[in-house]
Amino acid sequence: MPHGYARREDERLLTGRGRFVADIEAPGCLEAAFVRSAVAHGELREVTCAPALEAPGVLGAWSAADLPGLPSPGLPASGPPDEPVLLTTLTSAEAVAGREWPSLVTERVRYAGEAVAVVVGEDRYRAEDGAARVGVRVDPLPAMVTAAAALRGPALFDGLSNVALEGSAGAPIDEAVWRRAAVVVEACYRQQLLLPTPMECRAFLAVPRGQELTVWCSHQMPHRLRRELSGILGWPAGRIRVVAPDCGGAFGSKSATFPEYVVVAYLAAMLGRPVRWIEDRLESQLVATRGRGQDQRVRLAADADGRLLAYELTIDADVGAYPHLGAGLPMQTAKMATGPYTTPLVHATVRSVLTNTMMTYPYRGAGRPEAATALERTMEELARRLGMDPAELRRRNLIPPGRFPYDTPTGRRYDSGDYAAALALALRTLDYDRWRAERDRRRADPDAPPLGIGLSCYVERSGGEPGGLHEFGGVEACPDGTVVARCGSASTGQSHETTFSALVADTLGLDPALVRLIEGDTGEVADGMGSFASRTAQIGGAALRRAAETLVEQARLRAATLWELPVDQVLWSAGTLRPARGVAPTLGLGELVRATGPLRVDERCTSGMAFPFGTHAAVVEVDVDLGAVRVLRLVAVDDCGVALNPAAVHGQALGSAVQGIGQALYEGVPYDDDGAPLLPNGLLDYLLPTFAEVPPIEIASTSTPSPVTPLGAKGAGESGCIGTPAAVVNAVADALRVADPGLLRMPLTPDVVWRAARAPKAGDDR
Amino acid sequence: MKLPAFDYLAPSTVPEAVDALADPGRRAEVLAGGQSLLLDMRLGRAGPGLLVDVNGVGGLDQVRVRDGALEVGALARHRVFESPAAAPGPLGRLLALTVVHIAHPPIRARGTVVGSLAWAHPASEWCAVALALDAAIELRGAAGARTVAAGDYFHGAHATARVPGELITAVRLPLLGPATGVAFVEHRRTEFCFAQVAVAAALTVRDGVIAEARIGLANCADRPLRAHAAERSLAGAEAGPPVAGRRPPPEHPFARAGRIAAERDARPVPEPYADPEYRRHVIAVLVGRALCQASADLAAHTGHDRPGGDRP
Repeated sequence: MPHGYARREDERLLTGRGRFVADIEAPGCLEAAFVRSAVAHGELREVTCAPALEAPGVLGAWSAADLPGLPSPGLPASGPPDEPVLLTTLTSAEAVAGREWPSLVTERVRYAGEAVAVVVGEDRYRAEDGAARVGVRVDPLPAMVTAAAALRGPALFDGLSNVALEGSAGAPIDEAVWRRAAVVVEACYRQQLLLPTPMECRAFLAVPRGQELTVWCSHQMPHRLRRELSGILGWPAGRIRVVAPDCGGAFGSKSATFPEYVVVAYLAAMLGRPVRWIEDRLESQLVATRGRGQDQRVRLAADADGRLLAYELTIDADVGAYPHLGAGLPMQTAKMATGPYTTPLVHATVRSVLTNTMMTYPYRGAGRPEAATALERTMEELARRLGMDPAELRRRNLIPPGRFPYDTPTGRRYDSGDYAAALALALRTLDYDRWRAERDRRRADPDAPPLGIGLSCYVERSGGEPGGLHEFGGVEACPDGTVVARCGSASTGQSHETTFSALVADTLGLDPALVRLIEGDTGEVADGMGSFASRTAQIGGAALRRAAETLVEQARLRAATLWELPVDQVLWSAGTLRPARGVAPTLGLGELVRATGPLRVDERCTSGMAFPFGTHAAVVEVDVDLGAVRVLRLVAVDDCGVALNPAAVHGQALGSAVQGIGQALYEGVPYDDDGAPLLPNGLLDYLLPTFAEVPPIEIASTSTPSPVTPLGAKGAGESGCIGTPAAVVNAVADALRVADPGLLRMPLTPDVVWRAARAPKAGDDR
Repeated sequence: MKLPAFDYLAPSTVPEAVDALADPGRRAEVLAGGQSLLLDMRLGRAGPGLLVDVNGVGGLDQVRVRDGALEVGALARHRVFESPAAAPGPLGRLLALTVVHIAHPPIRARGTVVGSLAWAHPASEWCAVALALDAAIELRGAAGARTVAAGDYFHGAHATARVPGELITAVRLPLLGPATGVAFVEHRRTEFCFAQVAVAAALTVRDGVIAEARIGLANCADRPLRAHAAERSLAGAEAGPPVAGRRPPPEHPFARAGRIAAERDARPVPEPYADPEYRRHVIAVLVGRALCQASADLAAHTGHDRPGGDRP
């Protein structure tokens, strides 16, 4: 981290001057509280709202039956036909048909916490008092919270399969390949459901004024929210303005148009008053989106020298109650199943299975952690079977730098990489040989707590999928000499104000203090995709760079006209125009605008898909008597191509590594027999790594520019969620020498580790 | 979850507080540190009609030695005991070893020892210590004052001998003699959460023989426990030298006491990530560790303690 580094947004955020949805003043605003089903699966028989109206300060209470005109959220991201549809190649209309997610339950409850009624009051206290008085009767049905249960259980939607979507990547592998291979590792893994847990939960405020509706929402994609609200409410988009103010984190959980948003917007319009919904932590733990959720089976074949021959990944994903973006997401895992290796045969299959939980959705990493973790856990086991150093096994199989662009058997074209360089840097940074000596010393000492080293080499994808790889960027020169940059992205904590202002200032040769960024407001920014898939620097940054460059060209043209010179006689440097010859005065941007009128350039920029990569390495110590794992050291080497702002990348790497540790060791949602999440004490039960659990983490990087993105940048920020979990679990496996890799099921809570430590050991050492 | 509506009174004397608590129709609760009660109210697990805020009651924050015991007033905050000098001799050390496991510094600055006893969470560290030490809980109600021994006080999870309308004015923790070694060990998933198991131990040794062993268990049943069977197994055993290595050998009295605590004293309740089999195992390990540490504590402090305490 550069010394003395500060982000432009920090002073505002750290001194309590951030402005979040809950802070927006809207005179006469009502607050909404939702009445939620305690039952995970059942027939809704009766909702009695009338008693709520007797609570002081309650202005209304409605079930679905009371609001016959209430629309449903509908298909994710269904845009006008001329507008590229975002990520929807991953899901399909067929998956959703007949299984629409209602705004309020009409007939059947399909997950614990599904909203059955809404109450609005003068404030949240009164709304909750009213909600507590609403009577709900549900006749329970058996709840199915795992894919296995749902595959053999009754249909969640009458007459339709519980399998919402099936897909595959790569070609099926001939059985003879497995028979002939020197070594075949088979294992089963669970990618547990995770709660994204931003500090600020979901927040939505709808303010109607005449024929217009202004929506304030903690959201990653304001233009998509406007488009979807427009479609759902049947209002022209021009009558809806969506503003995403300061945001307390998203991690992927804030890009959908949720039922609660539809209800609140609908009520605001119906009542002609502002209505706000601020989700609290308990509500969020019950009904905010979940991440991951896959049961995986793998087969990995290698020859006696450790050369990979074939890899097969079979995924049953539990995607929750209604097919949404999460139903298509496991295809991301399938497409990334090849990982960073030259494995010639790779086949991945997916079944997305509907279950009685809240839906899965992209969560930081979004499909890639599941791919990387399955493969890297299996590589660890393969190295043990072969008696080979896990680093050497990987080295033999990494795709070499000379083979890019590399077409994988699962249909990805990797843009660029030097995977072996990242591995080498990770080993050097960790001091791999010293830790291996320490591990071996402890193996010889029965009184020493065992120590293990785990590696994880990953490659991921950034930018999004074809059709969604574009972004809006605009630059405007103001008469006072300042510059306004507009971007279709929406920061949920990624330092856009600092990074983008600096990028535009650098392109124009100006002081960054003269550049002001506007984003996250459909009233101020003409168009936009938003911030997801690690795409903002890669694509939004490119759009801003191009807009700034075009602005320079236009400024030179105007000066040429003004000075009656050919344009090649007008020079630009450090934000100033001057003639190539002569002593004519120089002209600043502000002066040019004052002399010639408004100067504004809007650009839409498209980028290719990029493939960031890296190697993570962890050292752990295990208290085998208790099963407690202590991470002694974590090294994360990431390559995101050209880093626009290395300090921001560093911060993102650190934060995501901590979230990766969370998946490996702490986070999980237990369910009771009736399908309700067992988190009665909120964050005292769903444990996040806190400061005390964060080990010494060393972040290092290599830089391999992307040839397919305008700035050479690849996405950053999801690396830790992708690379870290397998490094930590592999380290525990190394410490315990467990024969069955499936025993180390995440999260590696002490009871899991204790049982694994007592299980049969792997026979051979290395 | 927002707090439900409630009435609020802030008395300034104990009699006023007891008066305020007296009306059974008002479902009154005492508000001291509020670190558990307010959370329970938000979670809908407590819905008092009246909160009696005792923070302004004079004298309740006293911590003093009287009649061979440390008297901890109802407003003494957890963090007071972060210093081993807050109580004389081994007791001060035990309380200091215990308190660092309670939540984190902001909560320790506000929450109270007596509040933990009133809440009576099965995983409460102070409750395990109170049981191990034969603490006395001093209650004041409309009918007058009474004292309940810790051994008679805990009836279940959040269930105690305290009846509605009673205020706990103090807890009395007997001082520990100079030939006593103490330990508190805890196992939890992160520094933030409740203990999966915690053990308080005090070993008194005379002439190389364990004269008395006191073991309190947190989260080993539906309520805090005292490990009577394990304690009995230790009485009269040779104290021996401090145990070398990570764990006592299986035949060592400390290891045996651990197994007895796990099998005979504990009644573990299943929880996510801690089924009874795992929890019994952890109890055995932690009791063994606590006894080893108490023994080491004694060795480290032998010759340094003076009767009456080592308070400067």
